Amino acid sequence: MNEREGLGSAALTAVGCGTAIATVCAIGLFQIERLVGGVWAVAAVLAAGLCCVFLARVLGRLSTVVPSGAGLLAYFSRGFGRSSGLALAGPYLLLCLLLIGAEALIVGLLVARVAPLPPMVGALVFLVTTWAMCRVGIRVGYRAQAIATFALVVCLGGLAVVALVQAGMHGELAARLLPPAPSFARFAAAVGQSLFLFMGFELLTSQVEVASSPRAVERALGASVLVLAGFYSLVSLGFSCLDHVPVGVAARFTPQLAIADQLGSRAAILIVVLLSLLASFTSVNGALLALSRFLYALAAQKLLPRRFGRIEPRSLIAPDALVALLALSLAATALVGWGGVLEHAIYAAAVTASLVYAALSWVRERPPFRQDVRAAWRRGASRVLGLGFVGLGVAVLVDAGPARLGTVVLLVSVYGVVALLVWRRRVSEGQGAPANA
Amino acid sequence: MLTSAPAMNLMRALRSFVDTYHARPDLVQEQRGWSRTVRLVASDGGTSLALRIEDGRVAEVTEGGDGGDVVITSDAATLLDILELRRGPNEPYVFGELTVRGPEEDFFRLDYITSRLCPE
Repeated sequence: MNEREGLGSAALTAVGCGTAIATVCAIGLFQIERLVGGVWAVAAVLAAGLCCVFLARVLGRLSTVVPSGAGLLAYFSRGFGRSSGLALAGPYLLLCLLLIGAEALIVGLLVARVAPLPPMVGALVFLVTTWAMCRVGIRVGYRAQAIATFALVVCLGGLAVVALVQAGMHGELAARLLPPAPSFARFAAAVGQSLFLFMGFELLTSQVEVASSPRAVERALGASVLVLAGFYSLVSLGFSCLDHVPVGVAARFTPQLAIADQLGSRAAILIVVLLSLLASFTSVNGALLALSRFLYALAAQKLLPRRFGRIEPRSLIAPDALVALLALSLAATALVGWGGVLEHAIYAAAVTASLVYAALSWVRERPPFRQDVRAAWRRGASRVLGLGFVGLGVAVLVDAGPARLGTVVLLVSVYGVVALLVWRRRVSEGQGAPANA
Repeated sequence: MLTSAPAMNLMRALRSFVDTYHARPDLVQEQRGWSRTVRLVASDGGTSLALRIEDGRVAEVTEGGDGGDVVITSDAATLLDILELRRGPNEPYVFGELTVRGPEEDFFRLDYITSRLCPE
């Protein structure tokens, strides 16, 4: 395919799945498995997927009206105003930093399974290497990202099928897949957590600039959700059929290795580690570059030091913004590794994703996205969908158990930092800076 | 044919922008090897202007037509602000007031050029 002609739906679907699937998703999936288990975990994933199918239609409309690579921030700013746009999209982007820390630590733990390297050292090497490649201007191409994701999907999906077949051969399939039905509240929490697994698919709208058409993006959004729902369902079933349920560090950080352990083959473990490493690299490369652009824009708004707005001519990146991101990513890795906030980060990400998805549903009904010719019941459905997302976020928080307090502290910190930025923006507006409410 | 005042203002600003750019040989030198057609479209009036860039220098500025390697769309006031160096393109871009169609590297390059030309 010639990228100058624009990416088609198939390539975009691969990109959408690539941004959503990260190694940290295995942890989220395993948490859901422990929360409800068996077919209930699959039902939770599918219910979240159904919500995301509706959301994909909403996003299709948003990216058609405002075909911007800036994605969420652009939609919220156009629909609610710049300050509200920052307040809504900012926490989501900040939490990406924590997830980068989580991703780096998981990579360190995966590498430690196959090489004599302490996990924190592995995480550090991964983070610094990925950052250095961003620093010299290397952007992972769409094909590389698609291939890395496809390989990981096929590998983990294949291992899940093997686990299912083995359970079937031992006559344990029904017992493994049909645990007692969970309570409604617990199931709602599992659906809320499942949203975390899809988190990132909406960033596909950022590819609208290089897509063959906005319609191709809309189709790919829906297709990405279907592929993700199928993949997560399959791996979830695989988790249900594990002979040895991982405990301790393995359960908390690297449950995907348990599914490879099922084969009892070192080669299978090595392949999973390598593919996870590749998938993590493509995800973190894209995230660092996107976040550096966000910092660069904040500097242009005078919300951050001016030097973050300096671009290097050769690599066309903002070097000072990238340096700041490296420092923040290292701090996030230390926080996840030594501060024990991995679960809190996942819960907080799920809650933030719910709120962002709710806001997306609502901004759809505001100018310039609103269509007055649209039937009233459809407009009402968008609002109900938004309320549903908020409800799922609340359910995640309620069911977070011992992690609830830490999750709330994390959410308050992240939203507090963004509120401070918004306040600074308002103050600088009052002092005569460009005022674009 | 430029018929409206906003279109004429935009064309005047664009020509001034190009002159300012060409007056910076260091900046032009940095863009050597870059050849693209960049189109600016004013969403509130339909004005469409194109820059044909060859080996880092602007070879031609034209009005009308469509297509181009990079298409930048915004309202006329924002485009005028950018061309008259009152603000960079990245800020309206991230807030959805300016959209780009084409490779993002080309947009980054235009953003870089504007940021170098903008007075501190």
